[in-house]
Amino acid sequence: MQAINKYGFYGQIILLVVLVMLPFIITSSYLNHIMTLILLWSFVATAWAYMARFGMVSLGHGIFLGIGAYFPTMMFNYWSFTPWIGIWVGVAIAVATAAVLGYACFRFGLLGDYFALVTLAVAEVSALTIMAFRETTGGSLGYTLRATGKISDMQFSDKRVYYFIALILLIGAVYIWRRIDRSPIRLALTAIEESEIAAASLGVSVIRYKMMITLLSAGLTALGGALYAQYVTYVSPDTIAGVGVSLSVCFKAILGGMFTVLGPFVGSTIIVALEEYVRISMGASFLGLSQIIFGISLLIMIIFLPKGIMGSMSLAISRKLNRID
Amino acid sequence: MFEQILMALINGILLGGVLALLAFGLNLIFGVVKIIHMAYGQFVMLGFYFIYTFHTSWHIPLLLAMALGIAAMGLIGILTQLLVINPLLNAPRLNQLLALASLIIVVENLAQVIWGADYRGIPLSMPIIQFGEIFIRSSFLIAFIGAIVTLWFLYLFLNRTYLGLGIRAVAQDLEMAKGMGINPKVIYYITLMTGGALSGLVAAFFVPIYTVHPHFGASFTLMAFVIVVFGGMGNLMGGFISAFIIGIVTSVTAVLSSKEVADIVALLMFIGMMMVRPEGLLGTES
Amino acid sequence: MLNVHDINVFYDEFQALESVTVKIEKGQTVIVVGPNGAGKSTLLRTIAGLQKPRRGSIEFEGHRIDRMEAHQIVEGGISLVPEGGRVFPHLTVMDNLKVGSYNKGARPIAKQRLPQIFQLFPVLADRRNQRAGSLSGGERQMLAIARSLMAQPRLIMLDEPSLGLAPLVVNMVFEFIKSMKQEGYTVLLVEQNANKALKVADYAYLIESGKMVFEGKSEDFDKNPYIKTAYLGL
Repeated sequence: MQAINKYGFYGQIILLVVLVMLPFIITSSYLNHIMTLILLWSFVATAWAYMARFGMVSLGHGIFLGIGAYFPTMMFNYWSFTPWIGIWVGVAIAVATAAVLGYACFRFGLLGDYFALVTLAVAEVSALTIMAFRETTGGSLGYTLRATGKISDMQFSDKRVYYFIALILLIGAVYIWRRIDRSPIRLALTAIEESEIAAASLGVSVIRYKMMITLLSAGLTALGGALYAQYVTYVSPDTIAGVGVSLSVCFKAILGGMFTVLGPFVGSTIIVALEEYVRISMGASFLGLSQIIFGISLLIMIIFLPKGIMGSMSLAISRKLNRID
Repeated sequence: MFEQILMALINGILLGGVLALLAFGLNLIFGVVKIIHMAYGQFVMLGFYFIYTFHTSWHIPLLLAMALGIAAMGLIGILTQLLVINPLLNAPRLNQLLALASLIIVVENLAQVIWGADYRGIPLSMPIIQFGEIFIRSSFLIAFIGAIVTLWFLYLFLNRTYLGLGIRAVAQDLEMAKGMGINPKVIYYITLMTGGALSGLVAAFFVPIYTVHPHFGASFTLMAFVIVVFGGMGNLMGGFISAFIIGIVTSVTAVLSSKEVADIVALLMFIGMMMVRPEGLLGTES
Repeated sequence: MLNVHDINVFYDEFQALESVTVKIEKGQTVIVVGPNGAGKSTLLRTIAGLQKPRRGSIEFEGHRIDRMEAHQIVEGGISLVPEGGRVFPHLTVMDNLKVGSYNKGARPIAKQRLPQIFQLFPVLADRRNQRAGSLSGGERQMLAIARSLMAQPRLIMLDEPSLGLAPLVVNMVFEFIKSMKQEGYTVLLVEQNANKALKVADYAYLIESGKMVFEGKSEDFDKNPYIKTAYLGL
């Protein structure tokens, strides 16, 4: 294990340096745009995996993305409320929503696939709510952020600013992941996953720890949604709320491996890149085809690599190292 | 206003019959294979497209096209068992759930690539029946009667045949069923085939009512879930009753406010039920 | 007739049976006694194909059955009466019996078989349309046995049929096992109730922690001082 940690540490330093240099080396604004999307989705997928790796697989994170995306955007468009503060309002609302939902779920002891199904329904409710208030939200047609180009409105002339914001957020999310790993929460929640009763007998306040992770995950997800909206300057229930995006976030994390810290990053990179590649090389009319390939590869992954790419890789590496030792 | 609500009530009951059929398929699969078929509504969508293609492009008479569509969906059910469910039979429940969820992506985009994003339908003029101030679309009535008759046949199949008995035995106690000489693999294939064919049948009933598009199935997947959970997962009778409850509630709410609010109400009923009584309306614990 | 040769059975990493060998001749009633958790049920489950041995072989009437699926083994003529009268609680008594005759060999003669079964167990005839879950423990055990007889087995295996039953009912069950022998069935019975079981047995095995520790005729068991004190309470 020691050896992996050492390699892993150097690997991460190199990765970080590369990520910081990348926007200066690659000047194509299109590629920079893709890289920014990758980092944003990596951030969201990492936040999603906070919960999932402890057995709370949410298929409803779209509601947090949606809250984070819609509230600051609408507050800015209608009241000229600066997103610099509006974002935090969105995050706060998302955290409050998560508190209500999470408490209800954990209080009633919803586990495993029941939890997944309830959160899936919640995601659908979020999309339907946007549709129901179509006069204010734009409904399924979506909603465009008013352009001012002012830094005070969080609009930058150099789009690369968002790349670095996303990078800082991702680093933050990874740091929090590591902190959770070292905290008693991790031990307690791993115990929960093995057996709720065992954890309870250890004197662990199961609900409290689950709530902490849930609020953290929801808040960061909303932050990701908010920045996505500010960056893309367009929101719609298909792209940032509802079932589709909820599943897409969880698939990104699962593909990369939701039990490893860089898994969601790897998964997001592969999926965003794959989508873009197929879209460019086959044209927009074949967008569906890329999604079919994506869906099938997910199926194959779930069947043959249930731990995800990073999970399976680190397992293979540790086996190899153990053999050498 | 009163007539409108009464008509919504009647439509809710009529549509409830078709939803009961849909819920039956989902329930059967859950009860026997212990898998939640996340893409069940998408199967209905696929069945609809099959019938559309058979009739519109291949010029097969409509009823024959429907029969072929139902058969094709039965085949898709078998393929789902073979390619997706069999390899995951012993996997964690969540992996099964996600695998079937990724099937949503595959099926929806397949429809998008083959048939495009446009709304497609088979124009049929079906008479409207009038009782005083009340108007009932005969397409709804036919769908309702067809669904009830089908459910009756399914009831007989489950209760009067060895195969049906085998299905019920596997649903109750897999290991014991094996010990009685039942091959569960065969039962699984038959269950998925029946479930697939049912989704095709629901699609056939929908042909005179709706037009189809690649995202047509999503709302039916959720509706079927809501009904199944509300009635108790794996409880066929519970599913039957709750189909009518949900059918009426959504239909009346839609008239009073909007389609979205109706769906939200149904989903909130589902969420509430999951929390307070996860075993459902008629379910028993364990 | 049945030849279990040197089998090892595991549940994941836990070894439940270690080089277990059991032989049964046609028409015999053979019992396996032993304490709770010794591996008695595992032995029956393995013969029935519900568990696979990692080593060794099982032959029935000259055919290897240890790699067969459970449903094939039933068709081959072995029927298991599971522990605790495990019936299908939501099915009627009638349907439970019908499930018993599910295998291809038993189906055509199920109609003739049913009156015979009802003659043997009149109580089941009275309750034929009740859900099996509503039966008493003894009735369930009867139903489980009757269901196995519906399968037209040549070897019938009973897993602790007396467990949790009132003494009077236990006597009935053992009387019944005796009468099955007279009808020509080959019986493999596992029991904690060694006293009663030995009285009906032609040959017996003692299993402890997954290993066969003693075998012989009933008289041999009665003579063994260790078994006398540990199992027969003498």
